[in-house]
Amino acid sequence: MFGRKREPGDFRSEIAAHIQLEAERLREQGLSEEDAGAAARRSFGNVMQTEERFYEAKRWLSWDQLWQDVRYGLRMLAKHPGFTGIAVLTLALGIGANTAMFSVIEAVLLRPLSYSNADQLVSVASMWERGGVTTPYSCSPPDFFDWRDQNRSFSSMFAFHTSERALTGRGEAKRLRAVVTTAGIFPTLKVHPIIGREFTAEENRKGANHVAILGYGFWQADFGGLPDAIGKTIELDSEPYKIIGVMPRDFRFPLRDSDAYLPIGFDDKVMTQRGAHYLSVLGRLKPGVSVAQANEDLVAIMAELRRLYPDKDGKWGVQAERWSRRLVGDIRPALLVLLGAVGLVALIACANVSNLLLARATVRQREMAMRRALGAGRLRIVRQILTESLMLAICAGAASLLLAHWALLGIVRFGPKDIPRLASVGLNTAVLTFTLGVSVVSALLFALIPAMRSSRMEVGSLLKMSGSSSREAGRARSILLVGEVAFSMMLLAGAGLLVRSFVGLRSLNPGFDPQGVLTLDVSVPDAHYKNSLALEDYWDQALAKLRGLPGVTSVDAVTPLPLSGDDFSSSFSVEGRNIPEKDQQSAELRWATPHYFRTLGIPLRKGRTFTDADRLGAAGVLLISETAAHMFFPAGDAIGQKIDFGAGGGYEKNKGEIVGVVGDVRHFGLDAPIAPTFYVPLSQAGMDGASLVIRAQASPAALGQPARKLIQEIDRDALVGEPVMFDSLLADSLGQRLFYMMLLGAFAALALVLAAVGLYGVISYSVAQRTQEIGIRVAMGAARWQVLSMVMKNGLEFVLLGLAAGQGMALMLHRTMQGLLVGVSATDALTLLVAAAVLLLVAIVACYVPAWRAARMDPLVALRFE
Amino acid sequence: MSTQEERERLELLQGTLDLLILRTLIFGAQHGQGIARAIQQTSDDELLVEHGALYPALQRLEERGWISAKWGISSNNRKARFYSLTASGRKQLGKETTKWKRLTAAIGRILESEGG
Repeated sequence: MFGRKREPGDFRSEIAAHIQLEAERLREQGLSEEDAGAAARRSFGNVMQTEERFYEAKRWLSWDQLWQDVRYGLRMLAKHPGFTGIAVLTLALGIGANTAMFSVIEAVLLRPLSYSNADQLVSVASMWERGGVTTPYSCSPPDFFDWRDQNRSFSSMFAFHTSERALTGRGEAKRLRAVVTTAGIFPTLKVHPIIGREFTAEENRKGANHVAILGYGFWQADFGGLPDAIGKTIELDSEPYKIIGVMPRDFRFPLRDSDAYLPIGFDDKVMTQRGAHYLSVLGRLKPGVSVAQANEDLVAIMAELRRLYPDKDGKWGVQAERWSRRLVGDIRPALLVLLGAVGLVALIACANVSNLLLARATVRQREMAMRRALGAGRLRIVRQILTESLMLAICAGAASLLLAHWALLGIVRFGPKDIPRLASVGLNTAVLTFTLGVSVVSALLFALIPAMRSSRMEVGSLLKMSGSSSREAGRARSILLVGEVAFSMMLLAGAGLLVRSFVGLRSLNPGFDPQGVLTLDVSVPDAHYKNSLALEDYWDQALAKLRGLPGVTSVDAVTPLPLSGDDFSSSFSVEGRNIPEKDQQSAELRWATPHYFRTLGIPLRKGRTFTDADRLGAAGVLLISETAAHMFFPAGDAIGQKIDFGAGGGYEKNKGEIVGVVGDVRHFGLDAPIAPTFYVPLSQAGMDGASLVIRAQASPAALGQPARKLIQEIDRDALVGEPVMFDSLLADSLGQRLFYMMLLGAFAALALVLAAVGLYGVISYSVAQRTQEIGIRVAMGAARWQVLSMVMKNGLEFVLLGLAAGQGMALMLHRTMQGLLVGVSATDALTLLVAAAVLLLVAIVACYVPAWRAARMDPLVALRFE
Repeated sequence: MSTQEERERLELLQGTLDLLILRTLIFGAQHGQGIARAIQQTSDDELLVEHGALYPALQRLEERGWISAKWGISSNNRKARFYSLTASGRKQLGKETTKWKRLTAAIGRILESEGG
């Protein structure tokens, strides 16, 4: 169809021959030379049209015509810079928002992880029921071994945890990011050291595990990328590790650069630690095995483990999920909601441009009619409109890239750090393809109605400019307008709900006062502190030194720090309640120095807090949080109860008598439920790491570096983290919610502006069309306010219809939105009302301007208006 | 003014032009103007054939392989493009003719019964 079998010249000469033959025949019948020629041409009909049909029959998509359409389109667009500018800008905003949002989706959700056959990588997690919801949790070593050795679905599996290690023995300790892992990491991730060797299975055992494989970046920075690093020794936490290999340059695990990979070094007792959940497990599916099959396999194994070890595994389940999916957990539904929202913005932009085109089509009716009369087919007219629309959309798509680029800069800069791979967003090929696709689809969308209308028009009625067609155009415009208002209403309501939810969370009391408190993580090498006494002494020294800093009012230590993302939970027994181990309740456990509660402003409800006398060797004491007291001792008799947690995080066992009840702390963030918690005095636990909390009068932030120096003076091998202000931790804990709120807010604002512009455009246009009518009304004595209210009423009718439809749609949205909301219902009446009021207000302004202009019209000018 | 032109001529039904062209070519190769003339004369000038409309039809038939074309010299020594029936065109003509006859017979019967 696209080939050109017959030259147009050949066809033209055939027609010439035809006319000549016909003329000759007529001459033979006695007509004059001149008359015969004219008659022959007349009986042939439209030569041009015949030739054109010859072209079109040959190729539906003729490059000649396309080129013609493009040139003509360019001229039309250039001749109406106002129209072109508004249309391109509107579309660019709509497409740009989509491009930016899709870039985020692409980077976070769609881009395959950078491991070979990454879709075979599956995360296996222990499942743990907390507050009615079953959530994935870390795994214990014995469970891992049983899964690994009994499954039939995975070709290999490994367990790991990440940790920070101090690079010591070379002056001030340097923080290394380490992955502590079993040897199965290499076959599972299908990655191998570029120099040196992998871990052996033997090196999984304690004692044989003092070897290290370096990350490429660390090797380059500290060993100059020299191969003789292999065989050298580095000191981690004051213990020697032999370097046996270097990982490839582009290897990132887990998803980020790590400095060192260390074998896990399980000791002989590991198989008894079935309750110690601290490992992450990844496996590679055998070819052809689905995640569902792997799950069946694992669930069966776990059922057997529950039967065999009811005490430790009785309450645990297991779940395999594609790793890429597990990484984005609840981020995924939020991003998809946002993608849907941004799609609505694009639709609003399309409706706006469609309206512009319809208005212009009325102006161009004569032109189109002329073209039809001169022989252009319907198809040709439609194609012309499509070509112009595509050109608009492609220009807008190109311009949108600039807008998206800026948006992405902002997203990378201000986006939350805990959305994986968000920082890697960029306008890559996938995104550009998407933008092109969206541009083309929007062109088809916004050109659809104008194209359909223009092709249906009859030449005669067009030339006469009959009124019916413009009434029909008016109807199309009103439908588009109602749709725009409805979509804007939905977006505004959605954004409003997120704002309410966010403001509600922000106003929640975290249970402590984070203002003016600096936090600093400190951990010391076990090798230097062989017993709890040495550790107690270390913390005493550290706190004493810091208290001497100018401006410091108090210094205390706690672990795990609230909002740090770390937590520690354990089951416990209550003296006098004989409950088998598998039915024991569990609670969160924290270790703190005596005045921690005063420093952070955590209120004492009952009894006493810790004192300086609650030291190692003294009677064991515990504090309990309000929620825990209610939950475990509903009779209000918590104080005096003797609790035993068994082994804890430090050298000592955690058991003692409850001496007081303290206020609840939202450890997991403002949007997470409050967990029942016990506190143990830090000195009674023998802990080798804790977070210092420093309250100071003036600017605590300035104390960070001096504080670090003081700590390092005590033990230069101690690992000291970066000082962080507590209130910024609190803000970060709502980072994702803030991010979603800002994005949806931006989309809603965009929608509002576009809808207002659309409304303004349509009302202005209808005023322009009714100029004469309005002039007559004024001349006949209509008052200005009557004209004003007439025009306003005309516009606000659409708005009210749109608002009603939008309210309905917003109510249908509640299931989509509910997951993103805390403390506010998705059908919150106040939010819907406020959203409607905002939209109505903007709509009134958008209609008032053209209405006011209509009311001020001079009737004489209006009547003369053509 | 001849009576012929006063009388309203019949416009061709959609699709019938193809049939008429094939039928005309059964007597041998003919050029476009000859085909137009032949249709008009054979129908006693009842049918109105806009000569221009002939060419898209010829082109269509040529593309379907029912007719073939080559340049030749007309009886009065003019260069013209001559069309002739191909084997499949002949078969097509047979099919179309049968179909047309059945159609007209059926319509005729209906009109007759209405009239009676």
